[in-house]
Parts: sequence; structure tokens; C-alpha cells
Amino acid sequence: MNPTSVAQVLVVFRTELKNWGRDRRSLISVLVGSLFGPLIIAFMFNTMANRQRQVEDVKIPVVGAEHAPALVDWLRQQPGIEIVAGPDDPQEAVRSKREDVVVVIPNDFAEKFTASKPAPVRFVSDSSSQTARPRLQRIRGLFQRYNSEIASLRLIGRGISPVVASPLQLEDVEVSSAQQRAAQILSFIPLFIMMAAFTGAMSISTDSTAGERERGSLEALLINPAPRRAIAAGKWLAGTATSMLSVIITGALLYAIFEYIPLQDLGLRFRLGGPQLMGVLGAVLPLCPFIVAIQMYLATFAKSFKEAQSYLSLLMMVQMVPGFLATMYPLSSKAWMYFVPWVGQQVLLTDVLGGKAPSVVFFIATAALNIAIAAIAVQGTTALLQREKIIFGR
Amino acid sequence: MIRIENLHKRFGDVRAVDGVTFTAPDGAVTGLLGPNGAGKTTTLRMLYTLMRPDEGRILVDEVDAVTDPQGARLRLGVLPDQSGLYPRLTAREHIEYFGELQGITGADLRNRVDHLLKMLDMTSIADRRTAGYSHGERTKTALARAIVHNPKNVLLDEPTNGLDVMSTRAVREIIRRLKSEGHTVLFSSHVMQEVSALCDTIVVIARGKIVASGSPDDLRAQTGHQNLEDAFVALSGVDVVPS
Repeated sequence: MNPTSVAQVLVVFRTELKNWGRDRRSLISVLVGSLFGPLIIAFMFNTMANRQRQVEDVKIPVVGAEHAPALVDWLRQQPGIEIVAGPDDPQEAVRSKREDVVVVIPNDFAEKFTASKPAPVRFVSDSSSQTARPRLQRIRGLFQRYNSEIASLRLIGRGISPVVASPLQLEDVEVSSAQQRAAQILSFIPLFIMMAAFTGAMSISTDSTAGERERGSLEALLINPAPRRAIAAGKWLAGTATSMLSVIITGALLYAIFEYIPLQDLGLRFRLGGPQLMGVLGAVLPLCPFIVAIQMYLATFAKSFKEAQSYLSLLMMVQMVPGFLATMYPLSSKAWMYFVPWVGQQVLLTDVLGGKAPSVVFFIATAALNIAIAAIAVQGTTALLQREKIIFGR
Repeated sequence: MIRIENLHKRFGDVRAVDGVTFTAPDGAVTGLLGPNGAGKTTTLRMLYTLMRPDEGRILVDEVDAVTDPQGARLRLGVLPDQSGLYPRLTAREHIEYFGELQGITGADLRNRVDHLLKMLDMTSIADRRTAGYSHGERTKTALARAIVHNPKNVLLDEPTNGLDVMSTRAVREIIRRLKSEGHTVLFSSHVMQEVSALCDTIVVIARGKIVASGSPDDLRAQTGHQNLEDAFVALSGVDVVPS
């Protein structure tokens, strides 16, 4: 391209951005597109952290506490546990959801306990309730600990080592549902970032192609001596700029959110620090020119905004397929995947966020491939702008 | 100067332009007159290079518009049939945009834009977005951006269509001024009065063919109608008018 054409590219670029910046709707769509993901993630993590806290700080309603004062005292000493008087009708209280779990200590507890016979304790709960299950588990765990402590004391009292009574050493490896859910939420991050790249580009992609046709301004624009390639390239760069802006906003927000969410409370060793943020941007920014070029090529076929938008919403679904698959079936990264647009970014992002930084070679190869396809698509748009059916068809 | 020789364009079975030949000389206004659907717009579209003729030759100042469309476009200023504006840009920005695409920058561009705005009496609205413009203001904006680079040849496709009296006068004023400055002006119209008021030469086109050309007086003589409108109707064969 000669210097005149480069100047013309910049003129188109600048004017498209100016036009875009004045459209409140497109500004809002970029904002919503980039806020949506981070806000959802923040909301989900927050809810989960709250629920987790609820499980740990447990209020235990106990009916018949007077039958087992020693046990109740022991419970009171456990961290995060508060003992309150139980309701008169425990079953009714649980059924009507006023309580999640009620502990009932029957009248004969003291008698059996002193006689070293199994003393009964009843847990009244509704196992179909989401919130009750972790709480019941926690309470049951407490009683089991008390159970084995007393058992050990009794064995020692009879001159037997408590070890004898523990033929098995049970160890829990905690893969709690909270952790699984947290990991699942994290797997949505690539999806949201790529969505931001897509929505950020949409308004310029449609306005500068189908919009020009709908307004009838394309004809006048093409009569300028500027080569079609310069016009297409200027529009493409403008769309790329807004797409990248949207990705950067999303990345920065995610970074800020993970500064504030106490992920370790959820038992997660995930970090989105500076290096990860760089990795995320390095993976997704080269996707922007690709997305914009494809969007523009498709939108140039459309005679109106509406038509263009319906083409692009189909394209958005195509883009989301790899992301959705990855949230359901964790991808094991294979070399070929890096070379498929959208899949490549998905794999790179999964690697970056999973803490195993992929080799720079993959970043460069993925970026180069995307930009090469973008260049072909821009060439395609240029060719479309030569067609009489596109210029005059309506 | 614009020369068109034996131009043909077919859409499916329809011969939209069927052997059109005429010349629009420098320093003169040439009117392309014809009823709707006669082939005026298609002829102009081939002339300003957005359509390729099936056959024929187009010369813009001796540049072949078919083989060197970009070279031809450099010598043309066009108010096309469809001259939509960007609703969020101002009139000034429209003129600047096209000026910059023509490679005009800096003080030169500012002077030209100011000059055009003054000439078209648009200074007061120049910095308002075009979304709220009247039809006349839109046409004037489109006209200004079309001639910001002071092109040698100016093509106007039905420039006064739908304009009120004041805007029509402003456009006519521009056409006269361009002519006196030595430009080639070619404009199309289906309104007889429009053409007879401005043109040195009238080219009458009907069903894709040139049916007559010459000065308004020539046309009267050719058809034997004293009234130019009757002459036009007779030439375009739309209706049979008793003389």
C-alpha cells in the first residue's frame, strides 16, 4: 500500500471511531458486553462464599439439652458453633423449613450413657434441601468426633489402647461440591472474555457495512478515489479497536474482582494476577481482528442492520460452541487445537488460568493464524465492495 | 470533458442502457433528460465507475473510466442518486471526511470547507449533527462533500429532486458558478423546466437510447413543438401529444 492509501485508511479509521463514539447505543453495548461476565462471576462467587460461611458458622437447635450437659458443653467449645434451644415440634419445624437440622437428645440418653450403652441422638433434617445437607454433614461430623473421643476414654479406662479399636485410618480428601462449583465458574471465564471481544466489535461491524448500505451512504463513499481496500481496512481497524477495548475492560474487571474475592476460603488455589492477566490478553487480543473481519464480511452481505444482526447472532453461537464444550468436557490441549480459531483461544485461556503457562510459540502461532485469516476476510470484504449487487442492491 | 461512446448495460433481459453516445464539454452544463426508468441513473453510475458497462467507452478528461476507474474518480465530483449521510456527524465533518479521503489536509482543507459552507449558506448549521437536517440541508451537505476537491467534472443525479424553492435556487446557483469556472457539469433530471433553465445542451434519453440532443432551441425546431415540455413528451415517446 502506498502512503496515500495508508493516510486514507487512517481517515476511515478515525471517522468510524468518531461516529461510533457518538452512538450511545454502541457505547452501552460495549459496556454491557464487558461488564456482564465479570459481574456474573463476582455474583456467583459471592453467593458461594456466603453459603460456605453459613455452613461453617452453625447454630444448632438442640431439643433435650438438659439430658446431656457434658455433650452440649463440649459442642459449645467447638469453633463457630452456637447451641440454641430447639423447637417444640422438631419434625414440623424442619418440614416447614424453619430449621435445617434439629438435634434431639431423648430422655434415656443420660441413663444409657452412664451405663456405657449406646446413647441415642437423633438428627431431624430434610435431605432434599440444598442448604441442609452440608449443615447436617458438619453437625454429624461433630458428634462423630465426640463419639470417638468418649470411646477412646472408655478404652483407656479399661486398660486398652484406643488404637486397637481403630483398625482403619480414614482420611478425607475434600472435593467438596463448593470447590467443584467454583472450578466450574472459573471455566466460564474464557467464554465471557471471548464474548466481550465479539460484542465489542459488533456495532462497528454492522454500522460500517450494512449500515452504510441501509443509509445509502456507501455509494458516495465508494466514489472517492480511495481504493476499496483502504476503506475496508480502515473500517476493520476501527472495529478491532473497539473489540480490543472491550476485552481490556473485561480483563481489568476480572483482575479487580479476583483481588477482592477470597478464593482460598472456597478452598481454591486459583490466582488471576498480573502474569495471568497478560496471558489472557495475549491470547484474546489477536482474536479481535479475526472476529471483526469475519463479522464485517458477513455483515456486508446484509442490506440492513437487522439482517446483519441476525447473521452475527448465528456467528456468536458458533463462537460459543468450544467454550461451552470446554465447561462440560474439560479439554486436554492437543497441538492442533491451537490452530483452530476460537478453540485455540479457549485452550490457551484454559492453560493460562489453570496455572500452566503455554509456550510463547503457541501464543505467536495462534495470533499469526488469526491475523492471516483476518487479512483474507478483509480481502473478501474488499471484493464484495466491488460488486454492483452489494453497492446498489436493496 | 466527458465523452461517452456506444454505452450498453443489460440487467437480465432488460436493456437499461442501449447504445448511448454523447459528449459533455468543458465550461458548459449538459442535461440528461428523460422520464423515470429511461436509463439516466444507470448511465451516470457507469460514468462514475461503480457499474461496469457491458460494452462501450467512457472518457473523463481522456482517462478511460473502464480500464482506470480510480484515475477517473480522481477527476469526478459526484452527487449520486443515493447520497445518504452519517446521522451522528456534522455537515462540516462530512465535508472534511471526503476532503481527507481526497488527500486534502490542514489549512487548505479548512479553507475549502469554510468556503463551501458559506457558498451554500450553511454556516449556521455546519456544526450540528445531520440527523435533524431537512431534505434541502442534506442535499447541500452531500453536494458540498462531492465537490470539496474542486473536481474538473461534476455529475449530479437529480440534484433538485424534492427540494423546496430556496434550496433549488442554491443548487442552481452552484451549477452556474461551476460552469463559469470552466467545469464540466452533467446533471440528470426528469423535469423539463429544470433542464431548460440551466443547460447549454440537452440530451434526451428514453428506454436506454438517446432520442435527441442539442440546445433547447434545436429541440424545439426538431420536434416542431414551441413548448419544450411538449417537445420532451414527443421525444421520449411516453405519450402522443397533438401539435
